[in-house]
Order: sequence, then structure tokens, then C-alpha cells
Amino acid sequence: MQIFKDPNYDFIKYRWHAVVISALIIAAGIAIFVTQGINLGVDFAGGANIILKFKDPVPLSKLRSDLPDATIQQYGREQERQILIRLPQQKSEGDYAGAIVDKLHTDMNPEGATKHDLNFQGSDKLAGLLMQIDPDARGTNPNAELHYRDMARKIIAKRSELGIFTNMQQATSTEGMTTGVVRVLNEKTFLGKFNMLNQETVGPQVGKELQGKAIWAILASSIAMGLYIWFRFDLAFGVAAIICIIHDVLIAMSFLLFLRLEFSLNIVAALLTIVGYSVNDTVVTYDRVRENKRKIKKSMSLGEHLNLAMNQTLSRTILTAGSVFLVLLALLIFGGEVIRGFSWILTIGVISGTYSTLLIVPAVAVAWERFKPAKPSAVARVEPRAEMPARKRKAS
Amino acid sequence: MNRNVLWKIALILGVLAVFTIAIIPTKSNPQPIKQGLDLKGGIHLKMRVNVNEATRLEVDQAMNSMRTQATTQKLPVPNARRVNDTTFIASPPAGVPTDAYERIASDYLPSFAMTRVTDGLQFVLKPTAVTQLQHDTIDQAVEAIRRRVDNLGVTEPIIVPEGEDRIVIQLPGVDDPSRVKEIIKTTAQLQFRLVEGGTHPTAQAATDAIPANLRDQVDVLPIDKEDAVGRITGTEYVAVQKNVPVSGRDLKTARTQKGQTGGPVIEFTLTPEGGPKFGALTRANVKRQLAIVLDNRVISAPVIDEEIPNGQGIIRGNFTVQSATDLALMLRSGSLPASLTTLEERTVGPSLGRDSIRQGVYASVAGFLLLIVAILLYYKGAGVNAVLALLLNLVILLGVMAYFGFTLTLPGIAGIILTLGMAVDSNVLVFERIREEMREGKTARASIEQGFSRAFATIIDTHLTTIISALFLFQFGTGPIKGFAVTLLVGLGASVFTAFFVSRMIFDIVYKSTDRGKELSI
Repeated sequence: MQIFKDPNYDFIKYRWHAVVISALIIAAGIAIFVTQGINLGVDFAGGANIILKFKDPVPLSKLRSDLPDATIQQYGREQERQILIRLPQQKSEGDYAGAIVDKLHTDMNPEGATKHDLNFQGSDKLAGLLMQIDPDARGTNPNAELHYRDMARKIIAKRSELGIFTNMQQATSTEGMTTGVVRVLNEKTFLGKFNMLNQETVGPQVGKELQGKAIWAILASSIAMGLYIWFRFDLAFGVAAIICIIHDVLIAMSFLLFLRLEFSLNIVAALLTIVGYSVNDTVVTYDRVRENKRKIKKSMSLGEHLNLAMNQTLSRTILTAGSVFLVLLALLIFGGEVIRGFSWILTIGVISGTYSTLLIVPAVAVAWERFKPAKPSAVARVEPRAEMPARKRKAS
Repeated sequence: MNRNVLWKIALILGVLAVFTIAIIPTKSNPQPIKQGLDLKGGIHLKMRVNVNEATRLEVDQAMNSMRTQATTQKLPVPNARRVNDTTFIASPPAGVPTDAYERIASDYLPSFAMTRVTDGLQFVLKPTAVTQLQHDTIDQAVEAIRRRVDNLGVTEPIIVPEGEDRIVIQLPGVDDPSRVKEIIKTTAQLQFRLVEGGTHPTAQAATDAIPANLRDQVDVLPIDKEDAVGRITGTEYVAVQKNVPVSGRDLKTARTQKGQTGGPVIEFTLTPEGGPKFGALTRANVKRQLAIVLDNRVISAPVIDEEIPNGQGIIRGNFTVQSATDLALMLRSGSLPASLTTLEERTVGPSLGRDSIRQGVYASVAGFLLLIVAILLYYKGAGVNAVLALLLNLVILLGVMAYFGFTLTLPGIAGIILTLGMAVDSNVLVFERIREEMREGKTARASIEQGFSRAFATIIDTHLTTIISALFLFQFGTGPIKGFAVTLLVGLGASVFTAFFVSRMIFDIVYKSTDRGKELSI
């Protein structure tokens, strides 16, 4: 099978169309950024994120009145009964999410004052309760602690499997329970309204530091890439590579804004991966240009060289993008809520990376060749004459 | 088949065997690849150690020794006041020359820099002393937290200092976050101090009851108010002496016991140095109340019935079994030298982790199958080759993770899938090159030869650029993100190996240089 049989597309010809399309997308992104701002996640904005899973339908109105300054939304599918509570930045440092979760727990579970909440507490506390009551009469036998710890772990493992206990039967039917433990479960514990799946607090100080680190990481890695390309090829390609990276990052960020995704640490990871991937494609093209220059004796402009190389490597570009796209598709469909934004941004980055390699990189490389300072490089010597008329036409 | 090829086969099978063994779960090692907090569940904490408390304490102690030395040398006691966390000013009574006090300072306060100011002598803790103190404070805090966490039975905890005043704590598998956080954060500074006067409903009343000239020698601290049957009905205040004759540092062990009334009590044993101090304290103060102070709150204030000579005693308080066990644990582990402030906290419950694993596995399997189908459809015979290389890539990637104890996180799983997608690239580069060479009319053998050698530089370049970005990712990231960078880095390394070595070798075996006419399936 073969996708392209002897492709011969004129990518250089369409470069200005591509530049306009990219500019429009990025301009739209900037417009949204200016008017609506960016949806900064807890990692950068600070504050708290809490994910709770409820036993019964989520008491949304109660939660909204309890936590007036929180944003509350469904997390995952509706039948999962999970919600994400997002709390804004606090002025002072402290365990914000933990305090809120504890307060909600006390508010919503009045039984909690006298009984042990099987849906909320972990295995340590359950083991503590069992040891205190000692329903199996193990006494001070040193194995007593092990015995009850093991029971508690099994019960909590089953809860983790189910997400939450919806009836006591599920807990008491856990494998290996003694009648004594079952009695304690029935008499001394209850099934609370919710289970805490995840809680995060990022204080003001750490939030600020992470912002700085993220910007630094993206800028530094882009520059490192450019330097590498400059070192391996030449300055024009290095500059084109950096502009191409910035282009891909900006396009991905624009889509982040269009999709109203949250800007988090995971997104920065995705952007850094895009930086690497985007350069990958570019390197393959440049490698081919370099090889062709050695092989082909007749004089060709940089534009012609790029066109030839891109056509020669076109199947590879599309195939690789296709295979990465396939696995990203699997991530998007099966990867779950936690890495959804991450998968989206990577997918957009792969598409944009391929597109920019084919259309944006040549535009930049050719333009740089034309506008750069007088000192000619090896490529420039063969190139300007052929490109000049094209530009004049454009200008008139 | 020549010897060279046999060698390569042996090497590849060896690699395969070594890494397969590494990733097969055994009884003694049921989880060969370490799972990150986001998969296993657990707590990540970034704490600030309030080191200024340690310097403040140093200043307080310096002021105290200045006063005591003045008294022993029969000098008028200077008026000492703390200006900030590292500075205090000692003012002798009007008309008294400062020379004698300066001598005391040079003899007893070597870590302070002294200057004369208008109202006396100013003492500033020297920067080297401050740094030393900060270091010691962080080290002590890390040690205390480590002992507490070890006592809790958390496996594979990570407790490391970060920067000037921070500690990063990672506790995998912990499912009672609030309890564990409480145990880590409680400073648990235990003190035995003598009570002055009785209990009062407000702090002001407690202060007023103390004669004015003694007020700067006492602290007024809160204590639970109980009714006749021992239920807590509110808070009262009691004045206790500033002097701390015996503290948590003199404690050797502590454990919970059932008390006479059935409630839990904490039984403690003092160190060989602490025991006699406690004996002397109790002997000299029979019939007085001794306050047991924990983190500036009086937990109980029993009357000393008689001398306690053997350094053993019991602490009563309003404990539950859990709180008594936890307190005993903290006392055994030692107190924190300063309080902690939470800067960042991330807790993943075990349920979410389990979901993430499930989703990660589904996504990986689906992604991998999609890839295999696509490759086989497109490259037919050579596709088998690529799939084998890909499988080996996966085994090496997981094997390296297991051998070096790298942590697998959810973004890490995404990284694995992504690496596989990218590893296909190496094969694609080679295969497309081979096809080109064939179009130019070369034989199968020559096309393979040319294809691999021409694609080599390109593959190295593409891998290096991705490795550069993965290194930045590693540098930038924490926790889950680092896991992503790690799988990306390892995967890229494995991909170079499989593309050049494994894929190449399979071609060599199938298309031996001798059979010239053989059709190349690509």
C-alpha cells in the first residue's frame, strides 16, 4: 500500500495562504485571551481542587450554597455521580482543600459524630476502630493488630474497586470477614454521603513559582531546539525551527482557549512534547535538503530544495503523524478525565506540527533567506535570484 | 547464517529475557514497576518549615542567659527586649556602665554580633549562625517527620529538604490523608512546667491573678474545661512558669495504656539524664500542680503527690484511643523544631488511582492494537518486522523502568503510548527509504542496506531533538510530569536500539545477501 505515488506538490506556492490561516487562528486565540482570559488551573492560579464521588444523586444546590465562591461541575459521566469543586486562591498558605473536605464531611454526615464513616475514612482509621472494639477477642496478642489491619485493608480495597459503597451489604460481603467484624460494621459504621477521590491545594507562593517555571521551560526548550538545528544545519533553519515551534505552541494554546480547557501542569507537559515533536518533522525535511544539496549538481533555490525534500518525505510525514494520531485517539477515547486536556493538546499539536512543517517552515526559511543580513551562507548563494521576482509580484 | 547474525540474535534474545524477567510480577515483588502517587493513591506535600521560630527561640534563650549571668555576677538585671526574630536589645538600668554586660556577651553569646545603641546594647544573630540554625532546623524536621512516617508504617516514603526552608513529602498508598497530615504537622513539643495559681475563665483573668512583678515569668495557656464527670465543656486558662525544667527532649519512649478509668493514657519513660531532672522537680514541688503542656496547650495539670524518682510517669488527658496512639507516636518520634505551613498538597484517593490505571491500560492496549493493524496493512511483510521491533521496544521500556526503579505515573502511561507512536517513526523513515531505493531499481538487499544507512543520521537527529525537549520536561516537572519525561526518555533510547538493531537484523535474516531474486514485501 502507498499513500502518495511520486508526489509533486508545490508547498512553497501556498505558504502565504498558510501564514494567513495560522495568523487568523492565533489572532482569534489572542482575542479570546484578551476578552475572556485563560482558564488557569489550580497549579498556576493557586486555590484548591476537590473531586468527590457521591453515593446518591449529587446535592448540587446544597453544595452551591455551602460553598458560594466555588465553581462546581460534573466530573466524568453523570451516572458516576462525581463532581469537581474548584475553589479560588486564598490569601494565606494552608491546607485549604483538606479543611473544606472535612467541613463538608461534618456538615453532610451528622452520624459521623458517633459512628465511623466507611465511605470516607481510610483503612488506618478503620483498623483503629476494630482494634479498639476487638470483636474477635484477639486481646493483646501481637497478631491482633495484623488481623484487624488486614480486614480493614480488604474492606477499603473493595471500596476502591467500587468507587463508593452504596449499601452496607457490599462492605459486609467482603471476602474473609469474620462475624465479629461484620457486627462492628453494621453497628458502629455507616455509609457516608461521599468519598474523596482527589484533593489538591496550591498555595499562592507555589502557584507563582510554577507559572515562572512553566514559561521558562517552554522558552528554554524552544531556544535549545533552535540552537541544535543551527548547529546541525544552518541559521536560517534554526530560526525557522524556533518560529515553527512558537507557531505550534500558539496554535495549541489557541485551541486550548477555544475549547475552554484548563491550563495546568499536564498541559505544559503536552506543550513541551509538541516542541519536541514539531522539530522532529522539520529535522527530517532539513536532513533531506542537506542530502539533496550534496547529490544534485544543478543550481536550485532554497524554495525548490524545500519543495523537493518535502515531497520526498511526504509519505513519512503523513505516516508518522498518522501513527501518533492513532495512539492519541486511543488516549482521548480511553484515557479518562484526568488526562483529557493533555490528550487534546497533544492531538492538536501533532496536526499543527505536521501542517507547520509542510507550510510554515518553508515560508519562514525562505523569508529569512531574503531578509537576513548581507553575509551570504551556502544556501543563500544559490537562492535569492530565483525568489526575487516572486516577491515583486506579490508586492505589486 | 553467519556468526555475526547469530551474535546479534543472541544479544537480542538476551535483552528480551532480562527485561521480561524484570517485569514479571513475583510473590516477593508483586509490583515490579513502581507506581506514582496518581496511580497508587497517596499524599504529596510541600511544607515550609518556619525556621524563624528557631531563630526567635535562640534570641529568647540569649536574653535569658544575659539575665541569669547578670544575676550570678551580682549586676543589675538589664531590660532585654526582642526587636525581631534575630535581634534583641539589652538596656542596663540608667547610669550603669555597659562594660560588664559586654563581657558577659563575649563570654556567653558568641553567635551574636554586638553593637552599642542609644538605649543599651543591640545583639544580632550572626548570618552564619542563622544559616547553621536553619540547616539544623530543616534536618531535625526531616528526621522527626521520617521517624513519624516510619512509625505509621508507610512504605517507600520520600521526605527531602528543598531549597532554603522547605520539605517535600510523598507518601504512597496512604488512605487516611487527614490523620497523616495531622501527625506530620503537629509540632508535638511536650513540656513539664509548674502551675502558678488556679484556672480562670479568660486569659486576662488568669494574668490578673498573678502578682505584677511575676507576670513576665509566666505564660497563660489554654486548658480544657471539664465538668464533674470529665466531659469537655469549654476552655479555661491557667498561668504556668516560663521555665521548662523537663521537656519532650528528655523523653525516651511513650506508649498508650488503658488507664484506671478505662480511657487511654500515655505512659512515658525518661532518658537517664531526664529521669533525675524529673525526680528533682517533683521532690521540690510536692503538692504543687505540674502542667503537661503540648504545643502551648495544657493537656492536663495533675498535682504532684510525691517524688517520682524512676523517670516513669503517666499523662492523662481527654484522649480517644486514636488520639492517644497518635500522640504517643509523635512523642516517641520527637518533636518538630519549628511549625510547618502547607504550601502545596495533593492527595489522590485509592479509587481514582484505580480508575486511572484501568483507563491507562485500556488506552495503551487500544493504541497499540490500532498501531499494529495500521503498520501491517501498510507495510505487509516488513510490517511484521516493525511490530516485533515495537513489542521489544515496549518490553525494554517497561524493563528499564522496573530495573532502575523509575516511577510510572498516568502521564507516564501516556508517554509510553506516545513513544510507541513515535517509535514507529524510525521504522517509517527506514521503510520509506527502502521503498525509494527500490523504485530506483536496486535489489532488495541493496535497498535495505541503503535505506538503513541513509536514514541513520535523520533518526539520530529526530531522537536527539525529542530527547532535548524531554530533558527540559524532566527539569521542569514534578511528580506525574517527571514520570512522563522518564518514559519518553527511556522509550526514545529503546527506539533507537530496536530500529537499528532489531529491525535491521530481521531484514538481514529474511533477505540474505545470497538470494538476489527475492521479492521484498514492504
